[in-house]
Amino acid sequence: MKEFFTGKGIVGGGIVLLVLAVALLAPLLIPDTWATQMDMRSRLAGPSTTYLMGTDQLGRDLMFRMLLGAQTSIMIAGTAVLMSLVIGLPLGVISGYFGGWIDNVLMRLVDTLLAFPALLLALTISAVLGPNLTNTIIAIGIAFTPYLARIIRGEALRVAQMPYVEAARAVGTSDTWMIIRHILPNIMPPIIVQATISLAFAILAEAGLSFLGLGTQPPDASWGLMIQASRDYLDVAPWTALVPGAAVAITVLGLNMFGDVLRDVLDPRTK
Amino acid sequence: MQLRRGGNSRCFTPGTCMTYIANRLLSVALTLLLISVITFMVTNILPGDVAMVIMGTQSNPEALAGLRESLGLNDPLIVQYGRWIGGMLTGDWGNSLVFKEAIGPLIANKVAASALIVVMSMTIALAAAIPLGVWAAVHRDKWQDTTASTTALMGVSLPDFFWGIMLILLFARYLGWLPSSGFVHPADDFIAAVRHAFLPSLALGLGLMAHLTRMTRSTMSSILSQEFIRVARAKGLTEHTVIWRYALANAIGPVMTVAGLQVGYLFGSIIVIESLFNFTGMGWLTYQALLNRDIPLIQSTVFVIAAVVMITNLVVDLLYAAIDPRIKLP
Repeated sequence: MKEFFTGKGIVGGGIVLLVLAVALLAPLLIPDTWATQMDMRSRLAGPSTTYLMGTDQLGRDLMFRMLLGAQTSIMIAGTAVLMSLVIGLPLGVISGYFGGWIDNVLMRLVDTLLAFPALLLALTISAVLGPNLTNTIIAIGIAFTPYLARIIRGEALRVAQMPYVEAARAVGTSDTWMIIRHILPNIMPPIIVQATISLAFAILAEAGLSFLGLGTQPPDASWGLMIQASRDYLDVAPWTALVPGAAVAITVLGLNMFGDVLRDVLDPRTK
Repeated sequence: MQLRRGGNSRCFTPGTCMTYIANRLLSVALTLLLISVITFMVTNILPGDVAMVIMGTQSNPEALAGLRESLGLNDPLIVQYGRWIGGMLTGDWGNSLVFKEAIGPLIANKVAASALIVVMSMTIALAAAIPLGVWAAVHRDKWQDTTASTTALMGVSLPDFFWGIMLILLFARYLGWLPSSGFVHPADDFIAAVRHAFLPSLALGLGLMAHLTRMTRSTMSSILSQEFIRVARAKGLTEHTVIWRYALANAIGPVMTVAGLQVGYLFGSIIVIESLFNFTGMGWLTYQALLNRDIPLIQSTVFVIAAVVMITNLVVDLLYAAIDPRIKLP
């Protein structure tokens, strides 16, 4: 456990905790009106004592919008990764554990999906289903599934060849019980690492989708949407892009650092 | 060191090599077929169809039904797919609903434009990542390593369109050195073309560089701890030769493989970056297709991108075999 308390672990873990706290607490502590109230006299105002991080094109407080946007961004990313795990885990485990033709068919499909760049797949699905919050989650979740399924399959394949699995098989353990009791617990560490890193990618993907107008739609506020709104005002008010951009960057940086440390702790082989 | 994809990519005699290549080509053909099926299926879940897009949602139901009939939209899906794939194979890719042009030439034009920024961003990324990664690996766990690794971590953590915005602000708005948007064809004015492509390529290259730096660092550190490096040093070779001639020669294969795999990532990112910079390439075209629900154009752009990604991966695999002396190809 002491590996967690390296510089990287403390900073990464700290950022992740902070972002989670903001995402959970901001909606409870900050009234919606603080973020939606328009002040037409101070549109695109720079950071000041009244508006710590400035205002956007409608004179809304950027800091509160950024804090409240955390919930949307984190929720979308978290649910999307969870969704790709729910689909990818059975696919990967079945493929890796049973092998044979099932493996061939499933992995051929996964390899085909991997030929589509994740962002392209997510954008296409979102455009097809119609962009909104739920479909953004579905789009990112589906786009990430082949990556997770591939990694999970590799891990399941490795574990399935372990002597303890052979031993368990020798005493007549059924396939179902084998997967639950021996395979799943042993493939979890690398999957947790991968899920953490996927979370970082999912936040970037949400930002990208919303930036192109094919993700979260107003009135939902997310960081990507805030960056998109800032595009026309970059000349006069660069902070409108910097505030949400920094929020994305810090969150993703924190998740990546935390993921790196998690890997060192949980998956020492790749150190 | 682990060889990519285990034993099947090794071929030691010309005979097994030809079998290997033949197998790979067959699997590429099969995957392309699957890609086309997936592309066709995904675009067919679209609420509304081509007829609706052409005539608008408010149009007269009878006229709509007539158009549907004449476009063959009432045929079973499998028949429609057959017609589409048949057209794709014979070079008739249909017409774009938005651009009112034949899709084939339209895409060929845009692929050429995007090739410019894909090549430029890959060059920028490799030129920065290899020295940086080697530097970090040579000075492992020292300040140089921390600096390089932190830079790389920052690079992967910022969305590339955010890099793009920052670059526009800095180089186009404040310094006024480079144009912030537009595309110039290299055949018209090569210098102007490169100038227009530079900022988007840099925005793409920064994120890519970060990935490749991390890869170079980890591959180089594992190679530097191997026996043959100690032997090379014991022979009295200079540190320079050991690192750049011996270690890097062995690290370059995996790094190139990752660089090749990143072409997929690049083709996802160009959708955002080209739209941001108004660079009218393949990414921009795909975005316009998606935004306007131009179904025939969506099908073709998505299919072409997936095919390009797959073929790049194949080429990288074969190149890797050509670069790494332990994998022999004729």
